[in-house]
Amino acid sequence: MNRTDGPILVAEGIVKSYRLGTTTVKVLKGANLEVAEGEFLAILGASGSGKTTLLHILGGLDRPDKGRVLFRGSDIAGFRSRQLDHYRNRQVGFVFQFYHLLDELDVLENVYLPAMVGKGILGWLACKKAARQRALELIEQVGLGHRLHHKPWQLSGGERQRVAIARALMNRPTLLLADEPTGNLDWATGKGILALFGALHSSGQTIVMVTHDQRVASQATRTVVLADGLVQAGQTNTHWRQ
Amino acid sequence: MYKWLLALRYLTGRRISYVAVMVIGLCVFVVFVVMTVMDGLVGQFKQRTHDFVGDCVVSTESMVGFPYYDRFVTILHSEPIVEAASAVINTYGLVALASRQDAVGLQIMGIEPTWHFKVTGLGKSLYLHPDDPNKAFLAQHDPNLPGCILGIDLVLNRDWSGSYDYRWLPVKAIYEISCFPLTAKGALARVGAGYVNAKRFAFADVSRTGLAREDGGCVYLPFGQLQVLSGMAGPPGRATAIHIRFRPNVDLMAGTAKVAELWDQFRKACQDLPQSQLLAGVKVKDWKTYRKATIAPMEKEQIAMVVMFVLLATTAIFIVFVVFYMIVANKARDIGILKAVGASFGGVMGLMVGFASLIGLLGASIGLLAGWAFLSRINQIEYLLFERFGFQLWDRTIFSIGQIPNQIHLDLAAAVALSAIIVCLTGCLPPAMKAARMQPSDTLRASPV
Repeated sequence: MNRTDGPILVAEGIVKSYRLGTTTVKVLKGANLEVAEGEFLAILGASGSGKTTLLHILGGLDRPDKGRVLFRGSDIAGFRSRQLDHYRNRQVGFVFQFYHLLDELDVLENVYLPAMVGKGILGWLACKKAARQRALELIEQVGLGHRLHHKPWQLSGGERQRVAIARALMNRPTLLLADEPTGNLDWATGKGILALFGALHSSGQTIVMVTHDQRVASQATRTVVLADGLVQAGQTNTHWRQ
Repeated sequence: MYKWLLALRYLTGRRISYVAVMVIGLCVFVVFVVMTVMDGLVGQFKQRTHDFVGDCVVSTESMVGFPYYDRFVTILHSEPIVEAASAVINTYGLVALASRQDAVGLQIMGIEPTWHFKVTGLGKSLYLHPDDPNKAFLAQHDPNLPGCILGIDLVLNRDWSGSYDYRWLPVKAIYEISCFPLTAKGALARVGAGYVNAKRFAFADVSRTGLAREDGGCVYLPFGQLQVLSGMAGPPGRATAIHIRFRPNVDLMAGTAKVAELWDQFRKACQDLPQSQLLAGVKVKDWKTYRKATIAPMEKEQIAMVVMFVLLATTAIFIVFVVFYMIVANKARDIGILKAVGASFGGVMGLMVGFASLIGLLGASIGLLAGWAFLSRINQIEYLLFERFGFQLWDRTIFSIGQIPNQIHLDLAAAVALSAIIVCLTGCLPPAMKAARMQPSDTLRASPV
């Protein structure tokens, strides 16, 4: 495990509103959050509390109206477009509730997609073999070695989520951001996914997961609650202390 | 690399892509086929006109003609750029079968076959004695009469295939040709029987130039005979034009300019000679300018057609735009995913542009292949249509067209294919920009909040 005590990611006073027709909905009202390196953090909140919004802001998929997100001390709001692309490609891995795999690509291609995206034609040709090997290892790791050339629509929900996890890990990201990773799965399948997260955390992966399910949140090392647009005080989960 | 991989998968995996490919293919097919046929027709017409006229013409529009043409022809023959030059008389007259009273007004052209066949392709257009100047005016039935050559449509009918039945050549026919002799001052000369000169000619041959006006309304007589009939025998003798062929590799414009310079010098040298005022109205023109009145309408039609194809291209751009807009709307989530894994603005643009290029390339290839297959069989297809349904693209009994021109020009094919790709790229750009500007979070979340 490679952990440090200092926070790797800090969100300060995050404010975010959405316009829905003529009304403006203020989702985040100055949320603060710190994520330590190697931590498995769960953000617990009811539907519509702004969990996904906060996660997208942390991952550089969205920009806050106010506040800042510091990744290793750098404010990602100040990143240029290219820096932000690089941040999403190299530092962050996303796992979405609805998997979000590309239907045109098979399992292997979906997994090594982030490696392709980060390279030009020549760069990709130079590293294709290594990337393919890494993708194969990840697919084996998530238990889908026998599904390499299947298309996403040929897989079950749990299998798709495993592919999405493998894809998120492809570029060895510093942060793994998971948005309701078990929200679309039955409990038994979801437990398998959470076990996978547990194993990744044990190997040193920093994970931030948002969920509305207390049982899912309890699998993380620390849980914070998002309510009324603010992050409430956190608690450290007991099973990790044991 | 992912751009090309995904572009290829979008192309092969989505029905709407096939629609876009088919639209482009169809447009390319139509443009390629029509342009090839139209280019062929215009090219054929120009070639026939060039063959009939030669490279350059020294002519007057006056029916009185101009004198000292023979001296200028001698000067031209001493010029290294000139292959041959031939004096010609263009006039009008009445032509009637000697056995009947009714006469028709026709263009009468006086030529000296030995030189005129070197200057123009008229010799090759003869049926009985092609390219043989000694037999060109050989009377078929009555050797005591001078011969005349008739435009083929004056004596034979074209059948449905554009061919003639030469068994019906009027080899025994005798024609009475009357001209209106003019003096050097342009007045009707009282020569022979009143105001006209008339003479009998025996049928010698037919000429098929492929030019409707000449084949359907021109009679060719020996130069000396027509000179007498039209009152141009002099002295000094007159002609209405000198047709010139340049040596190979002589630039048309440069050659024409040289002849114009020679003519200016010649005209100045002749200014003290009798009737030299007739030289003032003489112009030197290259063959295209000389026949502008007949070539220009066809070229205008060609331009009108290009304008129509530009409209067609605009429609194709709009269709591609709609198809891409639908694809972008349909693939918004994919674009969000790509951005989530780090795809840049340029990357998403590249994906869309690559996709559009593939559609253009594939559509153009299909259109060109189909066009090539269609063009190579266009005459058989037309024949089948005529045989089964009586349909002809051009009624051969009216139009002087043999086979439909179907020679494929690679430069035209390349230009059409390139245009198709440009059309696709133009149509895809606005939706591609929209896709590239999408906020990933907008497309990836289940609800707005």
